[in-house]
Amino acid sequence: MKKLETLMRGVSIVLGLASIAFFVFDYFVFASLRPKMIHFEAISAAEETLMNWVGVGLLLFLAFCLLSLFQIAKYLKYAKKVTLFSLILIVAGVLSLLFIFGDVALLSDIGKQYRHGLAQPEWLMLYPVVGFQFITAIVFTYLHLSGFFKGKQLKYVAQDSNIFLMVQYVGVICGLLGLSSSSLGFLFPRAWTLQIHTTIGPIVLLIPYVLVALYWTFINFQEKTSQWFDEKQLQDIGRSAFLTLVISAIFMIVLFISNYNNLSGVVSILWLPLYLFSVLFLFSLGNLYFSGKD
Amino acid sequence: MKLANHLRKYRFEHNEISQQDLANAVGVTRLTIHSIETGKFNPSALLALKIAGFFKVKFEDIFYLVEERSKK
Repeated sequence: MKKLETLMRGVSIVLGLASIAFFVFDYFVFASLRPKMIHFEAISAAEETLMNWVGVGLLLFLAFCLLSLFQIAKYLKYAKKVTLFSLILIVAGVLSLLFIFGDVALLSDIGKQYRHGLAQPEWLMLYPVVGFQFITAIVFTYLHLSGFFKGKQLKYVAQDSNIFLMVQYVGVICGLLGLSSSSLGFLFPRAWTLQIHTTIGPIVLLIPYVLVALYWTFINFQEKTSQWFDEKQLQDIGRSAFLTLVISAIFMIVLFISNYNNLSGVVSILWLPLYLFSVLFLFSLGNLYFSGKD
Repeated sequence: MKLANHLRKYRFEHNEISQQDLANAVGVTRLTIHSIETGKFNPSALLALKIAGFFKVKFEDIFYLVEERSKK
């Protein structure tokens, strides 16, 4: 077990350092390509190859984010409580992971618009997103190097609450992002597509939640926990489920009434992600509220 | 009527046992013990008896009823 932990830490450090190096590389690639693409100047085959390396860097960063989130979850299991700092790490890790798919979408749009001779406002979004990921890579790599995730604060925890809370925090982030991105369909109904925006987008946004929920399930199976929730957690889940039922029903009724004259419009492909993400957001937020309230 | 308790006092009298250690002993989360101590969560009869059993005292030595003050 110790060997596996040491190996994971070593791999994380290598991936972290490689990610940082690739982000520096990306900055220079973007700085050289952006002026040419904005002015629709020709790009050489060698310059196009550089973009493939940007993709390789993003793949390495994806592996680094997944490994780091896994180590945060492992660290939290034996932490005394979920501190503000660990919460910031969870939020940064989840956002950086999701932003990788955003990077791919932005770069793909930039490429398409360049080929069709159109303006590329996506450049303005690309820099802050990559900048955020760069900072996350530096902080996470530093934490791996300093052995932050190695230390166990508690020797034994009979009934987990921290990973359960982490699942709820990730649920709030994913739910909120899903609601925000799905709502964009009302602003840009003509640009909205069933396959990309309604299907692939929500699947991608659910990845962090599914992964952390699977980890929580795996731990309960592995440790053969006799009861997955204690009595207070069950009470919190019950209250949260009731709250979710009431608010999501009201939300769906309002959505139906406000789109009554155009039910065959964009709402016909948006209702499912809006429902799923509102339920995820409300249920997770309710669990956090009730667990913190009592 | 409201259920109150001397849980905090008993923890300190038993080598200042931590909330986490008590939670491990009775099979609940630390947050549940914290909520019971602050009077925000009423434990089930089973959990209350487990806690009393852990301290080797009677149920009523730890848990007792108090009149709730009416809100004006």
